[in-house]
Amino acid sequence: MTGGVVVTGYGVFTAFGWGEKALRDGVFTGTQVFAPVRRFDPTPFRTPMTAAAAGDPELDAVLGGCADDAVDMAGLPLDTAGAVLLGSAGDWRSVTRFSRGQAYAPGPEVPGVLAGMLADRIGFRGPRLAFTNACVASATALIHGWRLIAAGRQEVALCAGAYLVEEENMAKFDSGRTLAKDGAIRPFSKDRTGLLLGDGVAAIVLESEEHAVRRGATVLARMTGFGVASDAYHIAKPHPEGRGITSAVRQALRRAGASEVDYVNAHGTGTPLNDGAETNGLRAALGSDTPISSTKSTTGHMLEASGAVEFVVSLLALLDGVLPPTAGYTTPDPACDLDYVTEGPRRAPVNRVLSLNAAFGGMNTAILLERP
Amino acid sequence: MITVARAATAGELEPVPGFIESAFNPLVYHAAVRCLRGREFDGSRLAVVVSSLIGDATTTGLASRLLVDGQVHNAILFMQATTNAVLGLLSRELDLTGPLLSVSTVDDDPLDTAELLLADPELDAVLLLTVELAADERTEAVYRLLGRTPPTTDGASALLLERDPQ
Repeated sequence: MTGGVVVTGYGVFTAFGWGEKALRDGVFTGTQVFAPVRRFDPTPFRTPMTAAAAGDPELDAVLGGCADDAVDMAGLPLDTAGAVLLGSAGDWRSVTRFSRGQAYAPGPEVPGVLAGMLADRIGFRGPRLAFTNACVASATALIHGWRLIAAGRQEVALCAGAYLVEEENMAKFDSGRTLAKDGAIRPFSKDRTGLLLGDGVAAIVLESEEHAVRRGATVLARMTGFGVASDAYHIAKPHPEGRGITSAVRQALRRAGASEVDYVNAHGTGTPLNDGAETNGLRAALGSDTPISSTKSTTGHMLEASGAVEFVVSLLALLDGVLPPTAGYTTPDPACDLDYVTEGPRRAPVNRVLSLNAAFGGMNTAILLERP
Repeated sequence: MITVARAATAGELEPVPGFIESAFNPLVYHAAVRCLRGREFDGSRLAVVVSSLIGDATTTGLASRLLVDGQVHNAILFMQATTNAVLGLLSRELDLTGPLLSVSTVDDDPLDTAELLLADPELDAVLLLTVELAADERTEAVYRLLGRTPPTTDGASALLLERDPQ
């Protein structure tokens, strides 16, 4: 490969609706749309609040729609020797239907099958792989896409992530006592009590720069670096000093030949443990001056889809020169002492952004995007 | 060039503290430990890939039945519902600070993923763990959909791939 790995298209769906306008109007204005979920009975859980779009959309349909949007924006033909890399645990509602003895169609609940269905829909004939490593799954898919392209094995990769609010994970996160007990998400705020789930699906076209230029595609951004590192600390909790986060960020900077970034889209779940650890890890890697925000404060936690949706949010910050705020922030926490963009959207010169994700088991990813 | 070490495990397993009901995570754990035991490696330059088409259907099914029966979830089921938990345990015990992945694929060879990771100059070795549980009623339907024979036993294998240092 000559040149780098570039972004040429994307499609996105969140609780705010379809597409980048919905994302700009919602995430970039700091609007919170958390409300009692209507898709199922939430009364057994510590909070009924989620950021769920209207209705009860099917995961494979939303995923397919986002992929269609991404491929359209990239201007790619439908029959392409590209890879399809998905971050998803599958459609949990199929499992619930089976357990309830309702009509059950096997397949979409298996991540690898869902990736194959997506590839069939858009006609990509390359590798089809689903990543299932929880909240870094779709960031891992993006990094895998970068690897495939950089190694010259593929010229195009559609990297996606998909999660829609459903009751299997609501029950699991409730039992793990990670949901915000007061129904409000306040990342980095002293009075934060936990996370809230949210709908999120995104698909991104990564492409070799050479391939994009050859076919006259518009390059939206370059993916110039990434880092992947683990805490080696605990089965579930993050390392309190953010050891893996620091390593992932430093690795991403090293691969990109960079020393600083203009904005960090943090993992920022709003749980007491995550936000302090992330703050420590970021401070060690970047110092204290870089603006950071948690857009889960508006989208909710989209689990496996977080990396893909937040990649698109980071891309829009880069394209627009606007940093999305951390919404819901109330009270400074001495353990979280960085610049969290709490005052609302902020205009700023943005040439390089970093999207950060972390997951259960101490896994961390960092992805760097730069202006073309 | 690669060198390989293999370990396979099935049947009765020592339990792994913190994991209950399902053989999935103990299989991953014991296959990994058997493969890596006695070997010298730099944990920051080793990636771990768990490949399983279906994943931990036992935990998934148990948690789902508790949900539809209106019973309170066991928090341990929350923790072990993703492969991340056992990978987190392995990373702590073996000081693995490199990439930890889990994948599901119908047709792709997980060796391709391992080989691609070995192309990264920041990695020297990849531990590839393949695990599937015996099919239950739900997953049997998935295997039938794919035209495959459902597995009748639980099993895991581990393969350590290392780049030739020269």
